[in-house]
Amino acid sequence: MSAPLVDSLALSTTTSLAIAVGIGVAFGWTLERAGLGNARKLVGQFHLTDLTVFKVMFSAVVTAMLGAFWLSRLGVLDLERVYVPETWLIPQLVGGLLFGVGFALAALCPGTSCVAAATGRFDGLATVAGMLAGVWITGVFIGAISGLYDSTSRGTVTLPDAFGVPYGFVVFAVVLMALVGFRAAEWIERRP
Amino acid sequence: MDRTPALIHSRRALAAAALILGGLAAIVGSPRPARIDVSALAREIATEADHVDAIVLADWIRARRPGLRVLDVRARVEFDEFHLPTAESAPLETIATLHPSFAETFVVYSAGGAHAAQAWVLLRALGHRNVFFLAGGLEEWMAEVMTPVIPDDPDLAATMPWSRIIDVSLYFGGTPTTAAEDPHRTGWRRSIDFEAGRTSREQRPARRWRRGC
Repeated sequence: MSAPLVDSLALSTTTSLAIAVGIGVAFGWTLERAGLGNARKLVGQFHLTDLTVFKVMFSAVVTAMLGAFWLSRLGVLDLERVYVPETWLIPQLVGGLLFGVGFALAALCPGTSCVAAATGRFDGLATVAGMLAGVWITGVFIGAISGLYDSTSRGTVTLPDAFGVPYGFVVFAVVLMALVGFRAAEWIERRP
Repeated sequence: MDRTPALIHSRRALAAAALILGGLAAIVGSPRPARIDVSALAREIATEADHVDAIVLADWIRARRPGLRVLDVRARVEFDEFHLPTAESAPLETIATLHPSFAETFVVYSAGGAHAAQAWVLLRALGHRNVFFLAGGLEEWMAEVMTPVIPDDPDLAATMPWSRIIDVSLYFGGTPTTAAEDPHRTGWRRSIDFEAGRTSREQRPARRWRRGC
């Protein structure tokens, strides 16, 4: 049995969605336990007083990256069947800016807003509503913005491809960046 | 969150584990499985899922199929003399430098098809998935794209998308002929599926002794 399981086990859409709900619940639970349901903790990221978000997200990236690399190496995971999002330079820059403004204003991002809403916080509910409204508005006007939306496509680009270095090299570099980043984060947090 | 000794200890252990796994990853280099799945490759060869026909490749090139990369594994001098439209030179010795990519389809060809078939096995061993080769090499291209022969037999003529084959041939500057004009080549495949790249073989034109790999 090899991963991705959705291919090798030929899971139906219903089963896949059910598993997705399970994974989502686990994700939300982990975020809440890390304290990321609290907007004040998240806003500390921008004031450089509490860099928990950085540490949680980056450690998740490292875990997933090492897991994907070694499971593939052992033949358990078929990397070529794993979906890699495509790159559209300008639309993603614009979207990223919008996201950043929203994150700073609401002090919540999409995942953590759901966590906050689930734990009964009204700002979480408001942010979820705003997020859904934004998605709906984009859908309504997708025809008008399709020129921007589809521009500057770069296809599927991964770091090893982009820099022309071996995959394992990138893995090691990201691990080093993470560990150095965690050290730096601790140092920044301790500054008065 | 108070930093108890147990927490510090577990964090240090995790950091060390990450460093070790990352360092080993840098040494190992590639995430491809360490062992080649020979049975899977053999199955693909047996079911003929590994190669495409020249006419299908020609159709893909004409349609600018997204992600298509045509590789010529002959020596550089031969490539410079003549190569297929949109082909890239990838001499066989340099095959290990080709990185697998998610969205690309490789089609490999050589003079007669033998080196292309070998390149197919090597590329699959490297981890590429969407790889095909031209079974008859450039000779197949010359015979079936540049000089296709339309059979006289109306039954045979009805089963194949001949107008499309003629279009593709003319697109590349070929000269389609009818069997009456070329009595030595009487017929061809029974069916061809351009989208899937499948043909079923009923009759093949007689081949002269092949030269080149």
